[in-house]
Amino acid sequence: MNQADLLDQFVIEARECLEAIGKRLLDVEQDPDNDELLNDLFRSVHTLKGNCGLFEFKPLERVVHAGEDLLDRVRHRTLAYSAALADALLEAMDYSAQLIEQIERHGRIEDGADAGSIAHASALRAFVCDSASASSAEALAALPVVAADPASGEDVTPSWMSRLDLAAFASKSGVLALRYLPEEGCFFKGEDPWRLARTVPGLLQLKVEGACAWPQGDERAAWDCYQCNLDIVLCTDAPRAEVEAHFRCVAEQVAWCDATVNVRTAAPPSDGAVSPLLRKRAAALWNDQCELLARAGHSAGTVRAARRALTNLLSCVEGAAASAASASLAELSEEVSASSLLTWARSNAPAAEAVVVATLSPDARMPDTDIAAVLPRIEDSPPAAPQKVLKVGQEKIDRLMELIGEMVVAKNSLPYLAQRAEEVFQQRELAREIKAQYAVINRIADDLQHAIMQVRMLPVGAVFQRFGRLIRDISRKLGKEVNLVVEGEDTEADKNVIESLADPLIHILRNSLDHGIELPAVRRAAGKAPAGTIRIVARQESDRVIIEIQDDGAGVNAARVRDKAVERGLIHADQAATLSDDDAVQLIFLPGFSTADQISDLSGRGVGMDVVRTAIERINGGVELTSVQGQGTTLRLSLPLSMAVTTVMVVESAGRQLGVPMDLIVETVRVPACDIHHFKQARTTVLRGRVVPLRALNDLLALDAAPIPNDAGELAVLVIRHDNESVGLLVDQFQGASDIILKPLEGVLAGLIGFAGTALMGDGGVLMVLNPKELLQ
Amino acid sequence: MYRILVVDDAATVRMYHRKLLSDAGWHTEEALNGVEALECVHAQESDEAFDLYVVDVNMPRMDGYSFVRELRRLELRHQAPVVMVSTEAQRQDVDAALDAGANGYLVKPAQPLDLVLSAALLLGDREAARAATQGVRT
Amino acid sequence: MTIRYLKKHAALEGHVAVDDAEALAQWLLQQREPAVHLGKCEDVHGAVLQVLLALRPTFKSSPADPLLARVLGLA
Repeated sequence: MNQADLLDQFVIEARECLEAIGKRLLDVEQDPDNDELLNDLFRSVHTLKGNCGLFEFKPLERVVHAGEDLLDRVRHRTLAYSAALADALLEAMDYSAQLIEQIERHGRIEDGADAGSIAHASALRAFVCDSASASSAEALAALPVVAADPASGEDVTPSWMSRLDLAAFASKSGVLALRYLPEEGCFFKGEDPWRLARTVPGLLQLKVEGACAWPQGDERAAWDCYQCNLDIVLCTDAPRAEVEAHFRCVAEQVAWCDATVNVRTAAPPSDGAVSPLLRKRAAALWNDQCELLARAGHSAGTVRAARRALTNLLSCVEGAAASAASASLAELSEEVSASSLLTWARSNAPAAEAVVVATLSPDARMPDTDIAAVLPRIEDSPPAAPQKVLKVGQEKIDRLMELIGEMVVAKNSLPYLAQRAEEVFQQRELAREIKAQYAVINRIADDLQHAIMQVRMLPVGAVFQRFGRLIRDISRKLGKEVNLVVEGEDTEADKNVIESLADPLIHILRNSLDHGIELPAVRRAAGKAPAGTIRIVARQESDRVIIEIQDDGAGVNAARVRDKAVERGLIHADQAATLSDDDAVQLIFLPGFSTADQISDLSGRGVGMDVVRTAIERINGGVELTSVQGQGTTLRLSLPLSMAVTTVMVVESAGRQLGVPMDLIVETVRVPACDIHHFKQARTTVLRGRVVPLRALNDLLALDAAPIPNDAGELAVLVIRHDNESVGLLVDQFQGASDIILKPLEGVLAGLIGFAGTALMGDGGVLMVLNPKELLQ
Repeated sequence: MYRILVVDDAATVRMYHRKLLSDAGWHTEEALNGVEALECVHAQESDEAFDLYVVDVNMPRMDGYSFVRELRRLELRHQAPVVMVSTEAQRQDVDAALDAGANGYLVKPAQPLDLVLSAALLLGDREAARAATQGVRT
Repeated sequence: MTIRYLKKHAALEGHVAVDDAEALAQWLLQQREPAVHLGKCEDVHGAVLQVLLALRPTFKSSPADPLLARVLGLA
């Protein structure tokens, strides 16, 4: 694992956090008093902020931090949740998502992100400043407090501290130092950082210089005096909370440092070989153990751990004193009490003087080091903790799928080989054995395939996730009230199917919001509840996933659809007149139906239902619409459970082999020529008492050949399901079913109509697989 | 070989801390929260207890303080120093850590040197402590 | 109130507001020997302070406010 892995992990977890945040924000809107939701929300933001801090992602951290402060107040009920607040948070999270994208792509945030991040952070902080409770001195932990230790002469403090003359305050305790770097545009916001700094409570010292070098020579003429370039450091002895409140509106522009001068144990000058830093830290940790032992009510476990800590500290510090101390520590009884150990520790501290101020300060911070500089490249240490969950990269799963797919196809060549063994090489026994082995391999391959499909299965809820937000935003824009109800989000489908679903579903929802659900006033007038409901229900039916999107809106107006279709020249007036209302409503699926005057400010690009239908059919799915005027509209999507391995029936026509997806095939039948009726250009036959139109596949494929009958004068008819009806395709030969991996057409061929894709056959040939729906249109 | 248990609910932080610690030459394991951490501790063989615990404060299910309190009630062989890691740096947070039984306190995000040096000292790994402070301007 | 531009120096008086910063900067840049008199200056806006720090005119007379004086290096 190296820097790149850590970055990947960061991106993954950051996205998870953002997703959780987005979801929770919507949940909280519905249920603002739910503490659990609020805490959950806070935790996600908190984790994200914490992770940002591991890297130098300042712009991102700034925004997330502002969000965290805001949410902290909300969950402590010192700030009320509101739609405006939610909006600001959602925008801030969207912005964060952009930054994370940059990080994923370039490994860092692009230059110039500061402006945007400051804007979002300020927008969030504005809520804090406006609220009445902001005046209460609630500590904003802008950055953690650092313990400075000038007495030991080591510079472990931020460099700006050196600008302050702290010796003057040596006798004071509780001295706080801070650095205020106002943002460039602060003057334009009406801020006066000089005023803010000057009026800090308990101000002891104040110094100002230029953050960047002041302009020289020619630069001065062009210099903009309204771009703030001040770098202010100051120290104060007012309580931190008070000072923080003073700076609350610019909290993210302030860095803190605890300037209290501790009279600490000086590192013993005994052994120059041991670094002063080491001795200093060891002494600090020693103090910590003393503090620990000094507290009441400790268990034997704590005493043991403290003793161990003391022992270990001594073994790292060199010198006669330390060795002696080690020896005497070892002599203490096994069951030494906390107080005895404490007494011992106090008198054996690896330091010259007794500790005057034993403060357990968080360890002093080292000069800021970028992770990249510090993490050397080293091989992985294998994770030893038992993992219950594995996170696997998508590419690995895809690769597995490919391999399994190839195996599925490869195994198909075995029956063919068996046949050759028998017929060409007269090896009957061998043929039989090959067939037997094929059966075994076939079963395993099937299992393997199902297993990997399970891995690729995702809950459809993954797509539904974003709808809450979409519906909220759009309904608000339109002034409509809409409730979203989702059922069956755990229903699983293949990853590819799910991914292809997103866009069509969004179009459908937009239509529903735009044309379906009416304005509250209109609804009330119609005797409906002012808020409309959109229900998305997902369930599995045998090998399909059914998704229904139902709204209780105005329904589709059959008459208007009829008129519009005629107007657009999509259908003849008299034909339109013969359609029932149910059928008329289906006209909206015709290409060209959606028009300019249907574009509200949302369905902007005039995406019609024809596009939706095409998209769904491209993934071997189907769309059906039913509507009751005045009551609502239901769209029913039927999708394949999996998209990878398809079973096709291979047919021969005009000397070519073609595949037809098995799930569309109703039956294969041979029809004698005399049972085929001709009427003008059309051919039909009667099957099971119903008239079935016949189309020659060659005609559909523009192949200039007639279907070839067999020796008995019968034509091969492949009956397929098309638009709830049966259609018979005239082909030359049936060649049996085959499992294939359907590869969609790519590149130049992608626009080819009538084909679902290609597949590699067991004998190495390429099979063109048909999309009968497209062909028949 | 020293063994350290890293407990934190953020996967990125776990990865970061484990990386720093394993680069220093120690074996690390991880847990997502106090409950899992206790399970992990219990799962240690009799000759294989942890030598150090690096524990986050804010975790779901069972936070850092609770974990340390529970840890301190277990058999003596599991009793090793605990370094608490937290985003908070107020006096009361440090107090809470001490009350629970922690031996050290670091502020998140922990600077690499802070974590490694504190760990080395509390483990009694003199070599690692030396190596950590080498090259640091003091 | 605010700035009076005299022959040899600009006199900052009372509370010098943000709008004055630009004019002061322009004026200072045009002087051969830019100088500023702060004897009657009570208070300046941050932008004005910035101009003084950036363009470093000669200071004639210290402002009453010790903080401002110190920041300008006059005390």
